[in-house]
Parts: sequence; structure tokens; C-alpha cells
Amino acid sequence: MALASSGRRFGLAAALLAGASLLAAAPGARAALDPAHKGGTLHLLTHAPEGTLDPQINYTLKNWQLYQFLYDGLVAFQKAGGSAGFKIVPDLAEAIPTPTDGGKTYVFKLRKGIYFSNGKEVTVDDVVHSFNRIFRVSGPTAGTFYADIVGAPECLKKPAGCTLPGVVGDAANDTVTFHLIAPDAEIMDVLAVPHASILPADTPDKDLGTTAAPGTGAYMIKSFDPAKEMVMVRNPHFKVWSEAAQPDGYPDEIDYSYGLTDEAQITAIENGQADWSFDPPPADRLAELGTKYASQVHLTPLTAMWYVPFNVNIEPFDNKDARQAVNYAIDRNAVLKIFGGPALGTPTCQILPPGFSGYEPYCPYTKNPGKKWSAPDMAKAKALMQSSGKIGAPVTIITEDTEVSRDIGTYLQSVLNQLGFKASVKPISQDIEFTYIQNTKNKVQMSVTQWYQDYPAPSDFLNVLFSCNSFHPGSDASVNIAGFCDHKIDADMQKALTTSITDQKAAASMWAAIDREVTDASPVAVLFTPKHVDFVSKRVGNFIFNAQYYWIMPQSWVK
Amino acid sequence: MVFVLFGISVLVFLIFFATPGADPAARIAGRNASPETLEQVRASFGLDRPLPVQYALMMQRLFITGELTSFVNRGERVVPEVMEAAPVTLSLVFGGAVLWVAGSLVIGLTAAAFRNTVVDRGLMILSLIGVSMPVFWVGEMLNLVTQNRLHDTVLFSWVPALGYKPLLADPWDWFKTMLVPWVSLAILYIGLYGRVLRASLVEAEQEDYIRTARAKGLSEFHILTRHALRMSLIGFVTLFGLDFGVLVGGGALLTEVVFGLQGVGKLTFDALHTLDLPMIMATVMYSSVFVVLANTVVDLLYAVIDPRVRAR
Amino acid sequence: MSGAELLPAVAWDEPALPQEPARGYWASACRKLARDRTAMTALGVLALIVVACLLAPLYADRVSHTDPFASNLNGTITLGGQDVAVMQPSTAGLGLGVTPIGPTWRWGPYLLGADTQGRDVAARLLYGGRNSLLISSLATLICLVLAAATGTIAGFFGGAVDRVISWLLDVLWAFPVFLLAISLSIVLISHGITIGPIDISAGSLALPILIIGLIYVPYVARPVRGQVLALRRSEFVLASIGLGMPDTRILLRDVLPNVMTTLIVFAPLMLALDMVAEAALSFLSIGVQPPDASWGTIIQDGDTLLYTRPIVAAAPGIAIVITVLALNVLGDGVRDALDPRSKVRVR
Repeated sequence: MALASSGRRFGLAAALLAGASLLAAAPGARAALDPAHKGGTLHLLTHAPEGTLDPQINYTLKNWQLYQFLYDGLVAFQKAGGSAGFKIVPDLAEAIPTPTDGGKTYVFKLRKGIYFSNGKEVTVDDVVHSFNRIFRVSGPTAGTFYADIVGAPECLKKPAGCTLPGVVGDAANDTVTFHLIAPDAEIMDVLAVPHASILPADTPDKDLGTTAAPGTGAYMIKSFDPAKEMVMVRNPHFKVWSEAAQPDGYPDEIDYSYGLTDEAQITAIENGQADWSFDPPPADRLAELGTKYASQVHLTPLTAMWYVPFNVNIEPFDNKDARQAVNYAIDRNAVLKIFGGPALGTPTCQILPPGFSGYEPYCPYTKNPGKKWSAPDMAKAKALMQSSGKIGAPVTIITEDTEVSRDIGTYLQSVLNQLGFKASVKPISQDIEFTYIQNTKNKVQMSVTQWYQDYPAPSDFLNVLFSCNSFHPGSDASVNIAGFCDHKIDADMQKALTTSITDQKAAASMWAAIDREVTDASPVAVLFTPKHVDFVSKRVGNFIFNAQYYWIMPQSWVK
Repeated sequence: MVFVLFGISVLVFLIFFATPGADPAARIAGRNASPETLEQVRASFGLDRPLPVQYALMMQRLFITGELTSFVNRGERVVPEVMEAAPVTLSLVFGGAVLWVAGSLVIGLTAAAFRNTVVDRGLMILSLIGVSMPVFWVGEMLNLVTQNRLHDTVLFSWVPALGYKPLLADPWDWFKTMLVPWVSLAILYIGLYGRVLRASLVEAEQEDYIRTARAKGLSEFHILTRHALRMSLIGFVTLFGLDFGVLVGGGALLTEVVFGLQGVGKLTFDALHTLDLPMIMATVMYSSVFVVLANTVVDLLYAVIDPRVRAR
Repeated sequence: MSGAELLPAVAWDEPALPQEPARGYWASACRKLARDRTAMTALGVLALIVVACLLAPLYADRVSHTDPFASNLNGTITLGGQDVAVMQPSTAGLGLGVTPIGPTWRWGPYLLGADTQGRDVAARLLYGGRNSLLISSLATLICLVLAAATGTIAGFFGGAVDRVISWLLDVLWAFPVFLLAISLSIVLISHGITIGPIDISAGSLALPILIIGLIYVPYVARPVRGQVLALRRSEFVLASIGLGMPDTRILLRDVLPNVMTTLIVFAPLMLALDMVAEAALSFLSIGVQPPDASWGTIIQDGDTLLYTRPIVAAAPGIAIVITVLALNVLGDGVRDALDPRSKVRVR
């Protein structure tokens, strides 16, 4: 299953990005809470918590899934199922403003009468402070998501006590004005993610760690013990101001307990001792879940991918023929069998996942190349190996030490040996693997990893993973793991980004062309797009899966 | 004791920093952090200071001020976490020890008394099966049976959900929760100790004072338990000291993991997995204390058990 | 020679036998062992296991017709005239999950079924036996030799020597081996370790042999030390000292034979523990590397199949039990044979 417990791999929104997700649609009509189902305690499980509670620093899906009902930003992703969840709706702001000044100025009017869980009303001061705080605590996306705000570069250099001249509050009119250095079509997306949560102005300017900041969400964190559990209860000062942005929830309490193994979690949910687990079910329980507990299983396709980055700067994969040989030789059906069967994913060759703007089916690495992958082409692969001259080269495949990742690695080892390499597999702790494979000092030749979207922008996959800007040699944070840097493709991507500010359709076909270009260069071998498995207990009702944050927990009832 | 603690703490420190990829800065800062952010985090954790300084600070924060915080769960103080986890491990190990000592005494004595008969052979086979089974497998199989396959039958419906229940809150629930983990832990040791005890008893039977006792007309049972057993205890007690010391310090990692018990072993396991140096250091120090303590106690017990040793 | 010879030969249940000359001691022990039918059967079983493992390539070639080291996720075999997939996706319900083929119980491919990569478990079991037996027996040997040496010296000489050795044993026992193993596994990913002229790579079996051999030394050394402490004060040793015999002679003639029996008791137990410890190290990529197998790695693979194919984890476990059992019975026989005080058993 896709989600390693060490979190998802989020995309970066680099500076001049054009997003496809800016849809300032009015919130859809929602049913009000059915009082018959209100109440009870939801029991959630996972191996361990992930990182700090600080919403402006934590960058993992595990916590982002919780922040959606604990905190609010000026705008938010709509709490609706499916791709309606990609719509951005006003949250603490009354409306989504149209920009002025050539797209560089946004004026947000703050709603009145919204209170933090400590009883204090939200003011313009809190908003300004929160954005300054993103830089003061050196949040991971300060230099990427929010680099467009006037004053950001200075704040990045000297974070302590800095103030952004680009965020101006007017208490008299209850407005907050944003001044940008340049127009940014993804500005609403970055204002909707938890890094832009509005916190009280007196929140300390350092990583909160295990202490929770008061929030405006429907729920609040009552207690957090990283070795035991997190307890969330209703925010006593919460009143619904927008059903679409922050609806009320059904359970009175949500317990998120830590410490059980995969198998134990599934058993607990089967026995009704818990309601859901964040971690993917182990492979040997899937058959049981798909038959005996089929009514409690929810499968949702994700805009994500499992893929194999090649290091294009060192032997032997600095040779394009060698990379393509591996791409042709991988049997993606076999890989899916390891993942849990063809019902859990779709084989794919290209970078962009289905459902993205700019997605046009394209698969060259198969017998009968065309739109879909059908079977590996061993003959072509072996021919490419001959021409590459890399037969006999030693290769080490780095994987996570989770069941699926290891097994995929062992399978790939078999394929590489068939091609003539001398392959070995090395699993590393999943908490370390992602940073390990990014650092060029470790000379990783090939690895198995995953990538999940931040929000549905093609740049999130293509620009973030394959632009020269994302490659930082010698650093643990170099998410262009392949080390791919092609200046022509970079220029194409910049063009697509600028085009998307004005002409979405043209940008989409530009991204499709870039998708094909990068796929052909084969800096990575994409394996499949996974489906997400949510296994809930019998008593959980009204399961809503939001494409952005996955299961919206408080929208389900337990009574 | 201090020398042992010092030696081990230095070794742990050195091993950690010699490991590529162990640098926690990137993992703390958050994914895809900018180079400036990484530098900030490194400075705030003191990771840019020279190693001996970092070591001294860590030891000070661990032993003197108790303020040492985790690399992974930022702000979490490791010493209170270990202290909270200690009762769980103690519950597991004490209960398991009672089971395995009692069990191995029964097995060892029975096997020695019925030496070379079918009973002896049968017990030998059972013992060796217990020793050969990997702990993780035993635990998972027990879970498979008690929590999953046979959970709804009268045999195991009393087994509560996995996870520790404090003794003082509900003793009966605590007992029910711990029973299966106790059995899981004891299976390995019952076999081992049973074999060792049997061998020592059989050895002791050959001793002259046993012949003397037999000549005096004492019953075989009396001889076994009063005389032979006493002399066999040296090996038994030595092993027990070694195992008990390690287990109390968190050696039953896998048992705790499989049964969802948040003890010191589970903390150690998680810390190793995430390369959380402060937590590793805390748990390793905790464990070392008990290992040394247990061995010291065992040395003192020698004098009690075997009078020959006393004459020094 | 043991202390029994210093005492009057008052035998309660056997006639006073003539004393055997010293050089016949080992010869007579071998003869005694050969007459012990149970011990010989155990020896036979052990030999059978070793031979079977050595014949692994033959099995893989002639019987299972598969490469036990190559993934076979799309393979099929013919069972009862029908083509059966080796990895079977579930078709019922939501169609989730893929289950490897179960044991066919037929002399041919997949006698014991397949593992998560579609490989033949029985063939891997045989290949795995080589690695497991090699690693565990060498590790056990190292452990017992070192433990005997340190335990005996510490117990016999006492004083400062004892204190130093005990301190070393304490540090070794308290040492966080897991941490070292994890660190080593990451260090060894890209390059091996060079100690002087010796170059150890990640796949070198010397690593697990040394690591496992060392970590269990205190476990045997301390009981040996305790036993020697007691022996030191026993009559026959005191007598030897009184007779002016040099320490080395006392150690070799009086102390070590008694320590031998302890070692023989521990040998099969340590072998079992070592095989399991080897699994833990292989999980961290130290020692046996994928796709190579050892009984421990097959157990690890089987742990992910416990709910659907428990045989994958059970089979190597049973193999370990049988090996350890045979060694134990043999050990009992050896001990009886070496012990001059043991009665001649009449069956």
C-alpha cells in the first residue's frame, strides 16, 4: 500500500506557478448534521505520530488530515467528497478576492465572530502574525510556497523577529492586504494549506513540538503524548460560519492511538475495538478484507505514483539506454501483484497521473507502445542493454524496510539481473530512506519511492521533481532525486507556468508535451498509480473521502 | 557501574554520528526544507557544535537536568517518557519471569527425575521447540489465534484489546491483558532454563554428597529438590541474572511491539527505527543500569547458594 | 581424569572396573558413543540434513524446476492437468490481495508452496540450510570457545583478573547490538569495511558470524565462571593445588572437562538462538543478502504471510527445531561418552 507511515511526499510550488486548481466556485449546498448520529468517540490508530504539532512546520499527510478540522486559513479546500474537495472556498475570509495591481495585490476581509479554542476572537493582528511566523520558525515551505510575498527573501535570510511588509493588516476595516512580488496563480492554494493556518498572535516564534496551539477549527487537541495517543475534543468556542469550509462534526471526541503493529490494527478494527487505521493494511490481510469485510472497505484512486528514480549523474544510469532498458523490462503487473493485486492500482509509464489537467495517456515502455501499458518488452530491453555497454555493472537498489517496498526492490533486483546487471537490494528504515536517497553524497543509484500530490497542479509533479532548481547536490533536501537537469525542458516548464496564469487550456497541452518529453528521457521508471484503501469498522457511517486530505473524519458518525 | 555507563554512552554516541543519513536536521526541519532552514534547525539543536561538546551537553541534559528532548518528537522530554514506560516493561517481565521460573523448575525437575524415559524425551522436544521459535513469530501466532481466528470462541473471548491497561486502574483487566504476552515471553525461556536445569541436576546426581544422601536413605524426590537443586542453582541463577537484567531494561522489544505494550522496549525499537539519538541514549543507559545491577546481585547470590564459593 | 579417581572406587551399582590408561580415554569415549544407538541416530539425522542442503542445486534443478533466487510473479504450474498461477490474485469480493500458491505436497515444484516473490520455498529451504548451518555453527563455536576461555580464567584466578573480565562481559552484554547493526547496515550500503588487510563487504558471512558469536559470549561465560568458582573450591582441585600441580595443568585436567559438559549442554541451545539472531541481522542486510536465503530470512519472509500462508514461516522453524533436537541428543550422547563416571547403559 502506498502510504508509508513516514508521510507523503508533497510537491513544492515553486515561485511563478500556474495552478489548475483555482476554482473560486461558491460552496456547494451541504446537508446539515443529522442530530441522530451526533456524539460518540472515534478511535483512530496508527504506528506513531509524525513530527511536530506545529501546523506551520509539519509537512506530513498524517497531520494535515487532522489540521483540516483543527485550524483554519484565510481560504480552505472545500470539505466535500471526491474532486469537489479541490475547490478552494473562503474560510476565515469572507470572500476570495480578485487581485488588483496586475495580479499582485489581494485584499481579504476577515469574518467577525470567530473564536480560537482559548476564547479569544480572531483579529487582523493574528493573521499578520501568523504569516510572519511562517518565516520566523523557518517553516519548510517558507522559501517555496510563500516566497512571492513582498519581504520574503529578506525574512528568509534573517528569520528572527522578521516582519513581512507584504502582509498588512487594517484593524479598522478588518482587512488584510497581501502584496506579491509577482503574480502567482497558485497563491490561493498555498493560502489554503495548513502552513498558512491562522494562529493566535501570542503563539511563540519557535517550533511548538508537542504543545498544541489554539485553533479555530471544529475540534481542538485536548492532549498529546507521542508514545500513547492524541485526544481531540470539540472546540467549545466553535460555531459554524461556513459549511463548506469548516463544518461541524459528528463525534464528540476523536482518539488517535499509537503503538499497534499493522496486523494488530486490522484485527482491532475487525473486532470493533477501533474504527480506522492510517497505515495501509498488510498484504496478507487484503484477501480477508476484500471478501469478509468488503462493505467496510473504501477504495479510492489517488493522484500519486510509485516510482523508481535513477541517478542520472553516476554509473550506470548516466546512460539513457540503460535507463530505458530497465523501463522496458519492468513488468508493472508483477509489481502490482506485490502491492496487493490489480484492483489496487493501475500500471503507468508517464509522470502525470490521470485526473490532472495536462494528462494525456502515453506509454512508450511496453509491447505495442501507445496509450496504455500492456506487457514488458524484454527483447527491446536486452537490445538497449547491448547498446548501452553497461552489462555487468553493479547496481544497488535502496528501498524502505516496509513489506511492499522491500518486495518491489527484490523483484527489481531479479529484473536487473536478467538484464545483465549485478544487482543488490538494501532496505533502510522508512523514517530515513526518503532523505537518504535525496542526498547525492550517498551515491544512490536507484531507489523505490512514492510521490503524492499537494494539490492538482501538473507543476507539482513535473516542475518539482525534474527542474534544475529542485536539485541540490549534497543536501538531504533535494527532491529531484534523479538529479535530472535539462535546460530546454526547464524553459518549457517556465513557459507553461506563465501561460497558465492566462490560458489554462494552452498550458494543459504544453504540460502534456513536457510529460511526454520527460517520460522519454526516462530519468525515472514510473510503476503504477495506487488506490487508497480505507478500512473502517462496522459502526462508521457516512464515509467521505476528500481528494485533497483524504478521509474527512469528523464527517463520519459512529452512532 | 559508572565505567560501564560511560563506555556504552560513548560507543552509542560515536556509532550514531558515524552513520551516514543519521543527521536529524533534515528530518526535523520538514520535507524539502530550504538550505537556510536546515542551518537554522542544526544550530537550534546544537548539531553544529563539536562532538565532545554535544556529548557533554547530552549527558548533562540526560542525567542532571532531565531536560533532554527527542530529535523526532520535538519538545518531548525523553526521561519522563522512559519513566512512564517502565511500569509496562516491569509488568511484562515480572509476570513472564514468574511463569518461566516456575515452568522451567517443573520441567527441569521432572525431566531429571524421569531421566532417559519417554517423559524426559518428550519434555526435551518441547523445550527445544520453545527455544527455536523466533519471538516475533510466537507473538504473532498467539495474536492470530487469540485475537483473530478464535477470538469469538469461549476459549479466547476474554482476551482484551491489545495495548497496556494500568494495574492500578483495573487489576483484572491488567491481568487479562498481560497473560498472553507473559506466555509469549516465557515460551523461549522455559525451554532454555528447563534444559540447563535438567543438565545441572543430572550432573549433581553424580556428586558424592548425593551418594551420601542416598546412602542415608533419603527419597529421590527429597534428594532432587533439597540437595541436587541447590547445587544446580548456580547456573540457573547466573542465566536468570543475565536475562532478567536485559529484559527489565527493555530487551523484550519484539514482544512489546507485537502486543502493543508501550514499554521501554517499544521506545527503544521506535528510537532505533527513527535514529532518535536522545531516546536511544536514554533507553540504552536505562538498560545498562539494570544489566550491571542484575549481574552484581547474582554475584552476591553465589555466596548464598554455594557455600564453597563463600570461602574466599 | 576427573576427581573421581582420587576417591576410593566404591561403586554402588557397578563392579570396580580396571582403570583405563589416559591415552585410551578418547578412544574409549568414541567407542562408547558408537554404541549409543540414540546418539548415532541423531548423528545420522544431522548428516542427512547437511547432505540435503548440499544437494540443494540438484533439487532446484531436477525437482522444483525453478530458480529459487529469481522472482516468479507471473509463473504458472500444472496441477492436476490445469494451469495454476503461482501468485493468485483474489477474485472474490473486491478482488483485493494476492496469495502465493500453497503447498502442493507433491514431489515436484512448489512442494511447500511459494513465497511473496513466487519462489519455491522447499528449494530455498535447502539452500538456506547451508547459510544457516554455516553461520550458526561457526558463531556457536566462536561463542563457546571464547566463553570457556574467559569464564574459566575469570572464575579460576579471581581477583583483579575476574573484575576486569566481568566488566568486559557486562559491557558486552549491555551493548546495544541493534544500534550497531543498523549503523553497520547503512555504512555498508555503499562500501565495505577494511580492517587492515581484511576487506569485509556487506554480503560477507564473516560479519554475522563474528557479531552473533561475540554477543552471546557473556551468556555462556558467566555460567561457566560461576561453575568454575565453585569447582575452585572442590576437593579434587584443592587436592591438586596441594600436590603442587601447576595452574595450567589443573585447568586442563580438572577444570576444563567439567566445563566441557556445560558447553555441551549449551551448544544446541546457542545454535537455536544463533539461527534466530541471524534472521534479525539479515533483515538489516548484514550477512545473507537478497535473493540468497537462510532459514532466518525465510522466516522473515513468512512473517508477512502469516495470515494466508503460515507454512512459509513454519517450515524453516521446523527445520531449526529438528537440527537443534538432533544436536541435543547427540550432545547428550557425547557427554555420557566423555564422562568416566557415567554408567554403561544397557538397552
